[in-house]
Amino acid sequence: MSHIHIDMQNLSFGYESNQPILQHISLHAGEHESIGIIGANGVGKSTLLKLLVGLELGFSGHIRVEEIPVEAKTLPLLREKIGYVFQDSDSQLFMSTAYEDIAFAPRNYGLPEEEVDRRVTYALKQVGIPHLRDKQIFKMSGGEKKLVSLATILSMTPDIILLDEPSIALDPRNRRQLINLLNSFEHLKIIATHDLDLVLDTCQRTILLADGRIVADGPSMEILTNKKLLEDNGLELPLSLSRKI
Amino acid sequence: MNKITRALTEINELNTLAQHQSPLHRLHPLAKLLITISYIALLMSFGKYELVALACMGLYPWWGFHVSGLSWKKCVWRLRVLLPLICLVGLANPFFDKHVFTIGGWQLKAGYISFFTLMLKGLWALLASYLLIATTTIEQLCFALRLLHVPKLLVTQFLLTYRYLTLLLKQADTMSQAYALRAPKQKGVHFKVWGSLAGQLLLRSIDRANNLYASMLLRGYQGEYYYGGPVTPWSKRDWQYLLSLGLALLCLRLLPWSTAFSKLLGGKFL
Amino acid sequence: MHMADALVSPSVAMTMYAASAVVAAYSIKKVREENNPRKIPLMGIMGAFVFAAQMLNFTIPGTGSSGHLCGSMLLAALLGPQAAFLTMIGILAIQCLLFADGGLLALGCNIWNMAFYGCFIGGLLIWQPIMQNGASKFKIILASMLGSILTLQLGSFSVVLETTASGITELPFSAFAITMQGIHLAIGAVEGAIIASVLLFIYQARPELLLGNEKANTARFSFAQTMAVLTGATAIAAGGLSLAASENPDGLEWSLEKIAGTSELESSGLWHGAAAKLQELTALLPDYSFQGSDSAWGTVFSGLAGSALVILLCLACCYLFKLFKHNEA
Repeated sequence: MSHIHIDMQNLSFGYESNQPILQHISLHAGEHESIGIIGANGVGKSTLLKLLVGLELGFSGHIRVEEIPVEAKTLPLLREKIGYVFQDSDSQLFMSTAYEDIAFAPRNYGLPEEEVDRRVTYALKQVGIPHLRDKQIFKMSGGEKKLVSLATILSMTPDIILLDEPSIALDPRNRRQLINLLNSFEHLKIIATHDLDLVLDTCQRTILLADGRIVADGPSMEILTNKKLLEDNGLELPLSLSRKI
Repeated sequence: MNKITRALTEINELNTLAQHQSPLHRLHPLAKLLITISYIALLMSFGKYELVALACMGLYPWWGFHVSGLSWKKCVWRLRVLLPLICLVGLANPFFDKHVFTIGGWQLKAGYISFFTLMLKGLWALLASYLLIATTTIEQLCFALRLLHVPKLLVTQFLLTYRYLTLLLKQADTMSQAYALRAPKQKGVHFKVWGSLAGQLLLRSIDRANNLYASMLLRGYQGEYYYGGPVTPWSKRDWQYLLSLGLALLCLRLLPWSTAFSKLLGGKFL
Repeated sequence: MHMADALVSPSVAMTMYAASAVVAAYSIKKVREENNPRKIPLMGIMGAFVFAAQMLNFTIPGTGSSGHLCGSMLLAALLGPQAAFLTMIGILAIQCLLFADGGLLALGCNIWNMAFYGCFIGGLLIWQPIMQNGASKFKIILASMLGSILTLQLGSFSVVLETTASGITELPFSAFAITMQGIHLAIGAVEGAIIASVLLFIYQARPELLLGNEKANTARFSFAQTMAVLTGATAIAAGGLSLAASENPDGLEWSLEKIAGTSELESSGLWHGAAAKLQELTALLPDYSFQGSDSAWGTVFSGLAGSALVILLCLACCYLFKLFKHNEA
C-alpha cells in the first residue's frame, strides 16, 4: 500500500447532537484515485470535505490521512498535505493579485523568497495561466478565479486535492478546461459535486450520499448509469447519458 | 447610472489608468507619495490672499498630467465631492472680510480673493492626489506605506477592504436592484426594510469572512499576514525625481510671485 | 462630513495626524494583544461592507431625501472599538484616495472626526455600558440613537474647530457652528435610526454576533488605561488646535470673544501658559503670513517645516509602534 491514502472509520458528525449530518461513514481512498462524492443538496458532501481538513473537529470515529489522525494538534501538518478548493473562489482568494495569493501559503510555511517565487511560477504553469501572474483578482472572470484557486493549492505541492463544487458558475469552455486539468493531475482527488457529468468525466469511483450515509460506493460508470438508484436519492442521470439511453 | 455603479466604474477606471505606462508610472511609489504629500502641505501653507503665487503652484499638476498623459476632465469632475464643504466655508468670505485690495486702479474685496484662493487650493490638491493614484496601483502604494513602516495591521486592513470592496458593492447593487424591481415607485429603501436589507448584506459579509478565515487557515495562516508586494527597486531615476521636483516645488513656493506681480500692476497689497 | 485638504493648514493637519496616530497605535496594540486571528479577515470584509452599505439609499419617511448609515458606530458594536477604529482608517483612506472624498493631508482630521468619536465615544462610552447586562431591543435603539447623534455632533464640531483654527473661513464661529451642528443633528438622528434597525435585525437573526463580541471586550480591556490614552490623544488635538488658532487672530480666540464676551483664555491658567510657552518655542512655525505677505520667507519656512513635520511625525509614530511590538515580544 502506498503512503498516500485516506482512511475514515465510522465517522459521524453533526453541528447539533440531535441532528447528525453524517452518520457511520467508512471509506478508504488510495493514491492516484479520483473520487466523486455525489448527493442531493444538503446531504453533507461539503461537510465531509471540511472534516478531512479539520475545518470542523467535533466528530466521532476516526479519520486518518497518511496515518496521521485528524485532530487539533496535527492540523498544520495535515494542511500541508491536503489542498482544499472552495466552492466560492472569492472566499478563497483574498490577496490583491494572483501572484500574492498563490505565494500566501508558501510564505506562511516560511519558505525563502526564491523558493516561493519558484513555486508560484510552477503552480501558474501547471494550471496554464502564467499570463495572469500579476492580474488583480477583482478584475478576473469566474473561470480565471477558479484556475487561480487551483494554483494557490498547487503551490503547497499537496498529495491530496479536495474540490467543493468546482464546476459551479463556469461556462462550458472553462468547465472543459477544468476537466482536462483535473484529469492531468496525478494527486488523490476527491470532488464533491452534483454535476454528475463532471464526475463521469473525471472520476473512476463514485460515492453516493443520502441522509448523511453512504448509499453506494463503486465504479462511476456503474453508479451513474443506475437510473433508479440516482432517482431514489434525489438525483438524475447525467445529461450525457440520458441522451444516449 | 446609480451611485454604486458609478463607484464601481471609478474604481475600475483608476485601476486601469494606474496600469498604463508613462515616466510617472514607472517611478517608485514612495517617491511619488512623498512628493504628493509635500506638495499638498506646501499648498496649504499659502496665506489666504496669495492667489497669484498659489496659481503658479498649478505648474506641478499641469506638468504631471502632461507627462503621464492623463485627462483633466475626468479628474475635475471629482471636485463635486469636495465642493459643498468648501463652498459653505468659503462663500461667506466676501461678506465678512471687509478689506479691500487695489490692483491697478481696480478695487477688489479681499473676501473674493480668499475665496478663490481656497477653491484653487482645493483644486490643486485634488489634481495632485489624482496624479498619485492614477499613476500608482493600490498594491504599489501599500508597498510604499510598508517602507514608511506603517504598521502591517493597517496596511493589511487597507488591502483586504480594497479587495472586497468591488465584490460587496456588486452585492449591494444586486440587492438594491432586486428591491427596486419589486418596489418600482420608491426612490430608496423603505424604512421598514432598512434593517433587513443592510442586515442581510452584513450577515453574508460575516459568512464570507468566516470562509475567508478558513481559507487562510488551510494555507498555514497563524495570525501573521505575509505579503511581498510589487518589489520595485529604488533607482537613480527616483532620486532624480525626488530631488529635482522637490527643488522645483520649493522654488515655486519661495519666489516672491506676489510682490513681483503687485509691482507689475502697481497694486498695494497683493 | 469629510474635510478637504483645502480646509486645513499644515499645522492643524499635523496635529490631527498626531492625535489619530496615538489612538491608532493604541488600537493596534490592543488588537494584537487580543490575538484573535479570526478578526483580521473580519475587519477587512466589514470595512468593505460599511463602504457598500453606505452607498445604499435609505428613504427617510415623510421626506424625499435619503440617509446613510453611521459606519464607525456600527463597527464598534460588532468588532469592538479598537478593531473598529482600525477598520475605519482603512475605509477613510480608500475614500480619500479612490473617491476624492476627503484629502491626503486632511486624512488625520477625518480619522479623528469620523472614526474616533464613533468608535470610542459611541462604541466604548455609550454602546458598551448600555449593553453591559445583556442586550434588549430598547437598549439597542437607545444606544444607537444616542451614539450616532453624539458622534456626529462631536464630529461636525471638530470640523468647525479645525477649519477655524486653520484660519480658512471668515464665517463667524458661532454661525458656522450653529449651521453645522443643526445639519448634523438631523443626519445623526437618521443614521442612528438606520444602524438601530440593522443592529436589531442582527440581534434577532444572530444575537451572538453582538453579545459574544461584548463579552470578549469587557474581559480584556482596562478602562483606566483606555481613558488615559484617549485623554492623551484629545490633549494633543486640543493643544495643537489652540496653538494653531492663537496664531490666527481672526480665528478661535476671536470667536470665543464673540461667544463669551472675553478673549481671555488665561482663565484656564496653567494650560494656556504652557501652550504659550510651547508657542514661543515653536515660534519658527506659527504665522503663515506676517504683516503683509512680502516676507515670503517666513511663510515658506513654516509651510516647509509643516510638511516636513507631517512626514517626520508619521515616521516617528511608525517607529514607535515597532518599539511597542518589540516590547511585547
